[in-house]
Amino acid sequence: MAYGPRLASAGTATPDPPPPPPPPPESAMAAPTETESSDGTAAAPIQEQQSDSYKLRFCTVCASNQNRSMEAHLRLSTAPSPFPVISFGTGSLVRLPGPSITQPNVYNFNTTSYSQMYEELFSKDERLYRNNGLLNMLERNRNLKWGPERFQDWVPGMPRVDHVSKGDKGALGTEGGVVDVIITCEERCWDAVVDDLMNKGSLLNRPVHVFNVDIKDNHEEALVGGKAILELANRLNEAAVQERKANNPEGWENGTGEARRSFDEKVPEILAAWQEKWPNLPALWTLAWL
Amino acid sequence: MAQSTGNLVDQIAQLNAARTLVLGDSAFYPQIVNGVLPIIGARSRLELRRWGAEFLAETFSSPALAPAQKEQLAATALQTLRETLELPEKDTVTLKHIVEAAASLYPLVFRHIINHPEDSTVWENMTAIKDDILRRWDTSPFSVKVCCIKFVQRVVQVQTHGLTDPRRPEQNETSLAIVPRNHSLLSLPYLEAEASGLLDRLLSVFQEDASDPLLVNATLNSLAILIRTRQSIGNKIINAILSFVPARQARTPVTPAVRVGVKSMERTARALMINIMKRNPSHPLASKMQQHIERLMQSRIETVDDSSKKRGLPIEPTDGLDNSKRAKLDAESPPLIKVSPLPPGPVSYSQLYTLTDDTGLSSFDVKQLPVDLLVKIVVPVLARVDQSVLQQAVDGVRMRYQTLQKQQAAQPPPATGEEEDDDYEPEYQPMDVAEPAAEQEDALSAEPVDLQPDLVSLGPFVLPQPPPLSENEAAEIGRSAVGRVFDMLASSGVAPNTGKGKGQQHLGFSRLAGSTFDRDAWVTLLTRLATRAPAGLEVDNKKNDQDPSSKRSTISDSIRETLYRYILEDFRGRVNVGIMWLNEEWYNDRIQMKFTASQRAEEDEESSVPLHYDQWSLRLLDGFLPYLDSRDTKIFIRFLSEIPEVTIPITKRVASLAKDPERVNLCIQSLLYLIMFRPPAREMCLNAVEDVYQTYEESRPAAGKVLARWRPQSTAVQQAQPEQQSTLVSRTVESENNTPVANGA
Repeated sequence: MAYGPRLASAGTATPDPPPPPPPPPESAMAAPTETESSDGTAAAPIQEQQSDSYKLRFCTVCASNQNRSMEAHLRLSTAPSPFPVISFGTGSLVRLPGPSITQPNVYNFNTTSYSQMYEELFSKDERLYRNNGLLNMLERNRNLKWGPERFQDWVPGMPRVDHVSKGDKGALGTEGGVVDVIITCEERCWDAVVDDLMNKGSLLNRPVHVFNVDIKDNHEEALVGGKAILELANRLNEAAVQERKANNPEGWENGTGEARRSFDEKVPEILAAWQEKWPNLPALWTLAWL
Repeated sequence: MAQSTGNLVDQIAQLNAARTLVLGDSAFYPQIVNGVLPIIGARSRLELRRWGAEFLAETFSSPALAPAQKEQLAATALQTLRETLELPEKDTVTLKHIVEAAASLYPLVFRHIINHPEDSTVWENMTAIKDDILRRWDTSPFSVKVCCIKFVQRVVQVQTHGLTDPRRPEQNETSLAIVPRNHSLLSLPYLEAEASGLLDRLLSVFQEDASDPLLVNATLNSLAILIRTRQSIGNKIINAILSFVPARQARTPVTPAVRVGVKSMERTARALMINIMKRNPSHPLASKMQQHIERLMQSRIETVDDSSKKRGLPIEPTDGLDNSKRAKLDAESPPLIKVSPLPPGPVSYSQLYTLTDDTGLSSFDVKQLPVDLLVKIVVPVLARVDQSVLQQAVDGVRMRYQTLQKQQAAQPPPATGEEEDDDYEPEYQPMDVAEPAAEQEDALSAEPVDLQPDLVSLGPFVLPQPPPLSENEAAEIGRSAVGRVFDMLASSGVAPNTGKGKGQQHLGFSRLAGSTFDRDAWVTLLTRLATRAPAGLEVDNKKNDQDPSSKRSTISDSIRETLYRYILEDFRGRVNVGIMWLNEEWYNDRIQMKFTASQRAEEDEESSVPLHYDQWSLRLLDGFLPYLDSRDTKIFIRFLSEIPEVTIPITKRVASLAKDPERVNLCIQSLLYLIMFRPPAREMCLNAVEDVYQTYEESRPAAGKVLARWRPQSTAVQQAQPEQQSTLVSRTVESENNTPVANGA
């Protein structure tokens, strides 16, 4: 309900029946694919944009891959300069509130789409699920991707090309199935993610920053949290872009001292500065391996 | 310039298209990798090198590409990576990806070399890359350093011994364990030593004073797999982590960034230890890790973390999405237990209670399994029985049962005779059996006869009285019972003295007699059985028939007799039994006298109490005196000092010891002890000593001293004093003549 207006804007940006990849103008910069080879003459500006358009790849995680992670997914993938993003849940099942506290609606991860859930709840009790915001939430989610995915079932490095063709928001750039940053929305999920990455055995030998931004599980807090996560993402990305520029031999003189410090090194400071601004969203971080 | 940049953009676009192709179908990898390698080599532009390094890192780590194919591609890729690295490469992004790729390549190449020792150039390239990376480890920017940590972790993992399964050599993980001893390129001792050194270097991050949280976290997160798969180094790693205290890294000033760092190290260390303990709850270091986790939490709260103060109590979730709440609610979500209806017709108990549809499972006889195994299975299973599932199962059985009840109530009971009574065996039916159970049995039994209602309402059954025992039989049974208790004594009393001492020390005054079930307890039981149990019975006996001792063999006397023999069997070891017994006898005598006295006052008539103490103490003394020798002083003194009463007959018996010149000292010392420490018996003992002094020449020196000290007025001593010198001489002469006489007397 509260996000009604924003939902509408998200809706307009992406028509609901997801057709083959709709390349909006800005995504051409985000991921230089075939579109770019066609206009190879615009050399200089593109090169500048290319380094500028470097994007960290994100992964948002909450318990059910419904509310908090999807709000953040929406924010990151529809930002003015959108990020590649995928999202997961760490729970054993997708759980949504039901008619009473003892009758939750329970679904399986990976095999149930947001649309199915929407249809089911719609037919069960439209008024109830409209009023408690579930239908609106599912509406938003089904415009973002097909269905909730379970983090523990994710195989990092497994190509996700099909998600691009399915039109998942934020899928561009995540074809390789890897991310640079994971953001969970609850300490329990952070624990589950770090633990699961250890169990997976870090086969890719690829570092990944794992953050937790503690967001209470309700629609209002999810909105605030999504905004905060986007800001954290922007700050992190800025540092990453700076690193790539500073170490570019052509930009040798561009940065000195502080600017030349690597992105990874700056992460604790970035998070600390961000935390000052968002003291009500206690954060946590570690560097793990995919 | 414009040309070249345009060209570059073209190239990147083409490369991206190629990447999209292989991501879509991994079959194109060999073709694409070989095509791409020349473009991204050491002499290409930065953008291309970056792209290429990242692409190679992605390729060799991709789960979509089979290891065998990666192995084939490795050789050429290694050459390119080495050239780029030795450029020397300065771009951190490129370097980072090269190290990532190297970490993925190392196990692949290692395995390849194990099987192809002839490919020495491949191994040479790999080794060169490894050495280059190790050289850069300390000096690189953090982004690269982090990847070096991971690379080293991989090298350690490969160059230590892993688990192998000889049945499936193809499946074995790459480790030292699969390297042949005589490999021409891979020298086991060298590789192992190198790994050990690298591990130390890896773990040194925990010992340094000022480690960067980034490096600590990168290390911690990479160690889980080493601990899990490499037994030989697991404990070393865990101990290194246990010695690491993140809070110590907090340097002043404690900036927010430092706080983030400390908290992250603490939480990552905790996550790692929890991960280890979850995998192996019985890990030998589990308790230490648990303690360390708690200590970490504590120190963090104390030192740097004040964020916990910032946040108030968690607010109740508004929509019940919180998992901790949900866990209890999802009674609906798991599929219900399927309780299939019972087949029509008569059913057995096992059918009633069988909930599974699996025929194999329901026909399995659990009795085939040994009990201890069953216990191992059942106890943990019971511990984690799901309440709701159990409830459902019970409900299911109840439903079946009620359905059966209804069916049977609907059927009129067929009339049948009682001739099949025998099956029923009502004698052994406990009379207070629960009514439903009887019903159940009726309702469920396939025998229609059991539905007969009057069978259910059988009256109470009383066992017939056994035939009365004759007195002899009773006595016989009593004796055998006593005999069995003595058997218990024999079996439980292996180390009586030490056992007793300890027991007493532990229990002290609060001890209850016979509560410890050791030998002492049984002795207490027996002595009281002999003394107290029949008290009062004998009085009647004696009164009624004062006549001959035909009736004397009461149960208590037979116990006394057995106790007496038991003690004599090993007087030295069982002296405490004797003391205990005699104390009981004495005590019982007193009680009996007191009781009889009070009775007599009312009835005003003569009565007597059979007293046992004097009789049995003398008998016991007589029993073992002949066996005492001069070394038994301590035991004998103990006996004399601890029995409840010393009587004149007892002192006489003791004095008689002096007959034997060898035991004169024993005699005098025992009496001296009684004189010194048992004032009530002092006079009679002194009399005994005097008697001894006068009767036995040999006792004079010792007895004389005692008398001189305790009874200086004694005439015997005074006479003896002046002639002491001469007697000493004369006695030596006389002793030969005297001794046989003394013994004989």
